[in-house]
Amino acid sequence: MDRHQGGETIGITIKTLPEEELFTSGHTACGGCGAPIVVRAAMKILGPNTVTYFPACCLLVFGGTYPHNAFKVPYLHVLFENSAICAAGIKQALNKQGKEDVNVVAFAGDGGTGDIGFQALSGAAERNEDILYICYDNEAYMNTGIQRSGSTPFGAWTTTTPAGTKIGGKELFKKDIPKIMMAHNVPYVATASVGHPADMLRKIEKAKNMKGFRYLQIFAPCPTGWRMDTAKTVEVAKKAVNSGMWTLFEMVDGVITLSVKPKMEPVDDYLKMQGRFRHLTDEQIKIIQGWAYKKNEMDLKFVEAFSEDKKE
Amino acid sequence: MFEVRFHGRGGQGAVMAAQALASAAFQEGNYAVAFPYFGAERRGAPVMAFTRVDKDKIFSKTLIYEPDYIVVLDDKLTGLVDVADGLKDDGMAIINSNAKPEDIELGKSVKCATVDATTVALETLGQPITNSAILGAFAKATGLVSIDSIVAGIMDIFGSRIGEKLAAKNANAAKVAYERTSVGTCKGTMTYEKGGKWLPDYKELPLGLATRPMKTPEGLVGPGSFVDNKTGSWKTFAPVHDPDKCIMCRMCWFYCPDGAIKEVGEGDAKTLEFHLEYCKGCGICANECPKDAIKMER
Ligand SMILES: Cc1ncc(C[n+]2csc(CCOP(=O)(O)OP(=O)(O)O)c2C)c(N)n1
Ligand code: SF4
Ligand code: SF4
Ligand code: SF4
Ligand SMILES: [Mg+2]
Repeated sequence: MDRHQGGETIGITIKTLPEEELFTSGHTACGGCGAPIVVRAAMKILGPNTVTYFPACCLLVFGGTYPHNAFKVPYLHVLFENSAICAAGIKQALNKQGKEDVNVVAFAGDGGTGDIGFQALSGAAERNEDILYICYDNEAYMNTGIQRSGSTPFGAWTTTTPAGTKIGGKELFKKDIPKIMMAHNVPYVATASVGHPADMLRKIEKAKNMKGFRYLQIFAPCPTGWRMDTAKTVEVAKKAVNSGMWTLFEMVDGVITLSVKPKMEPVDDYLKMQGRFRHLTDEQIKIIQGWAYKKNEMDLKFVEAFSEDKKE
Repeated sequence: MFEVRFHGRGGQGAVMAAQALASAAFQEGNYAVAFPYFGAERRGAPVMAFTRVDKDKIFSKTLIYEPDYIVVLDDKLTGLVDVADGLKDDGMAIINSNAKPEDIELGKSVKCATVDATTVALETLGQPITNSAILGAFAKATGLVSIDSIVAGIMDIFGSRIGEKLAAKNANAAKVAYERTSVGTCKGTMTYEKGGKWLPDYKELPLGLATRPMKTPEGLVGPGSFVDNKTGSWKTFAPVHDPDKCIMCRMCWFYCPDGAIKEVGEGDAKTLEFHLEYCKGCGICANECPKDAIKMER
């Protein structure tokens, strides 16, 4: 049974995105941060009739340090662990007040989403709460100074997965949070990237216009934590998709489609741009390459298994 | 005992500089501590770090409010922050600047040394990271630690973080800066306003602590109030736009994380305005422009 309603888009593109900034200049993100690219664009699509929720994360700090704020819409923060249920509570309270047309969106980091906030997220998804949840994925706990998260990829240096003579960065693999969210059978799950803006805008608009629980995970590089040139934020995000390190797909009512078919370029170029991978041995690069191939193979099978014609 | 306060920006390595100075002093037989100021700072925002050195054991754990020396890694900070706040009258300021000490304004006329550490860093490291070069200037200007100890301090602290090879380059930066430091006296004509902060009393505190957009004597507060925060001073490089090459594709406008690029005009007269008062100089716009219509310049 289809759980969602809506999802129609008028096809917002970079050309038609409104000028008005609902997330203003003067915020204090590091130069070249990927997260504000996501948030600026998302707020332009969501519009003024929106309430936002944030757990502790870089965005919370650079977007607002009381009494200053970059958001021109209501902005709430309770705890790190419970973004999804707080957003759901806000939505239900607004409904009770008869304000059913307000968009409620939670923006959270990868740590706040896939690790610390996960039980709340899972619960809200299972109950199909009517909210949009956007995770900007910078692959570590950046706000507290670059600690590894479940979303940190294999081999990456962080302050808690140092690269030295005994270990060479993180020894475990990136947690596939989008697939876990798909397993919740919510109306909408999608991945996006700041390197593929047209696709990102389409997905945000689509998610905005749906009802029920909607989950978006957007790849948003962090030049500070990734130890890279601030000018390359978008370029590195493109390379992640082209090399299969990050896959763009979406699931609407149980039907999964690939948005961009990965070119499966060698991962080397992607890794070489980032200081967090500087220490990698050839052996480790091979492991990462193998991971990307295997992930791609699994993704294609997954898309095949959940394609339109397999739906009863 | 002498106390040094470092002023830099997040990412410029003020903390590592403070530690390397402490290590240098320690290697000369002193006791020394170095520590940062903890805040919510991001790369580019003003930050502080401290070094305290003594012949005897150090028990004081406080921040340094009345330093003997201040070290400023970025002279644009002097227009924003009262870096000389609390600096002792017989103290000294060591500043990364291409200006002469006599042309530096600190709101207080004190002994002052300048060195163009950014140029030194670009020459020796290929990057505008000035935390090692400035220590060469400190050694030259104060004579409190030798340049050899500074080199040893840099090898110790930088070496353990970024490896011996890069540390050696940084040690060289300090040596070059040592030779290029000039010492004099700075100006003290301007007065710094004591930066206030909006502190509402309980009657002004909004229900549930949701601030409304308001003008206060301390500036805007509430939703959208960050527009008052001019982040443009964070940059080293600034975008220069060539309208003749530009096809108004809007990519730079879309990607700018700081919303510093605006479209102005209508129809054929449409062009871009770069709001450098917000631009942090990340270079994404120049990197992504399909027509190469933006160049980053110092
Ligand atoms: C329960 C709890 N644990 C730890 C923290 C400290 N903390 C604040 S932000 C943060 C990191 C957030 O990481 P992520 O969610 O990935 O967002 P990012 O900062 O990377 O954007 C941590 C660990 C906290 N505020 N609350
Ligand atoms: S640490 Fe990373 S995610 Fe946080 S503001 Fe800086 S660049 Fe952005
Ligand atoms: S990206 Fe380049 S061509 Fe496009 S609008 Fe900006 S400056 Fe013009
Ligand atoms: S350099 Fe960065 S902050 Fe400045 S205008 Fe370009 S994209 Fe925006
Ligand atoms: Mg994160």
